[in-house]
Amino acid sequence: MVIAMTETVTHGMDPQSLVVLVNAAAVGAALVAGGAWLARGQLSVDAPGPRQNIGEAILSFFVGKARAMAHGPQASRIVNLVTPLLATLFLFIFVSNLVAILPLPVVNRPPTSHFSVTLGLALCAVLGTLVVSAALKGPLPTLKHLFWPNPMQWVSEITDVMSLSLRLFGNIAGEYMTVLLVVAVVPWGIPLILHALGLIPAFVQALVFTLLTASFMAAAIHEEKKRQRRRRGLFGAKGATTEGRASS
Amino acid sequence: MNTVWLSLVTVLPIAIGAATAALAMRAISTSAIEGMTRQPEIAQQLFTAMLIGMALVEALCIYTLVVTLVMAGNVG
Repeated sequence: MVIAMTETVTHGMDPQSLVVLVNAAAVGAALVAGGAWLARGQLSVDAPGPRQNIGEAILSFFVGKARAMAHGPQASRIVNLVTPLLATLFLFIFVSNLVAILPLPVVNRPPTSHFSVTLGLALCAVLGTLVVSAALKGPLPTLKHLFWPNPMQWVSEITDVMSLSLRLFGNIAGEYMTVLLVVAVVPWGIPLILHALGLIPAFVQALVFTLLTASFMAAAIHEEKKRQRRRRGLFGAKGATTEGRASS
Repeated sequence: MNTVWLSLVTVLPIAIGAATAALAMRAISTSAIEGMTRQPEIAQQLFTAMLIGMALVEALCIYTLVVTLVMAGNVG
């Protein structure tokens, strides 16, 4: 029955897409399980255990990235809104890229080497940017920002999706194809070096995706900050010092 | 003869794209490393900006890679 159900779901789907689908689900499940394992047990302020230390180190990495893009009076709210999205994107992309180094011949295709997955991730990032902007500025100013002052401003959102998804797809798929070609010629030794070198793009591409999403978000909420700064300037030197302290 | 020309036309875009992207990346990394050695205290910010700049340059190279892959699929 399971086989019949699988055939119903995967009707007309090529085996590579099925591998990608299963791998993406496995990466998601592994991340959820790992997060639950890190957060389980006795959390303590005075004597944090090793698991709590690992979890807090990972969390503070993302909070630091979010703090770097958030300025102004709403900074802590921006950090609270943005950190979960950035952390999810980074962890999913990084662990997905690392699937390629598993020593399994056919099923080690990274989910991020399939264009559907990267397109979905990029759509999540750009729609998340719009949602964060709507939460901070309200929905109407966000919509207005798409058409004003430049009526073609919405095109840039589409090109953001294209550039984010194509960059991740091209890097990871190119790496994967290179390893496949080399494995077909020299099955021993050389692929190890390629995999070791592949760890660098795996991290850098996840970081670049996250940083670009963060900078799109900073640009989307930047307009509001500029208006506030101008309004504060009218109140003179006191407002200027408050603003300086808030942004530092 | 025709096949040779077709394969040349197929691989030429990625060759040109990779070469020009390499030139642009050289400019970015050179100035970023110069800035980092002059002011190590802002090295982290410079590294972030360098990564974003390199990603934007690399996106163009990836576009040519995609075009090349599509052309290779069509030429066969």
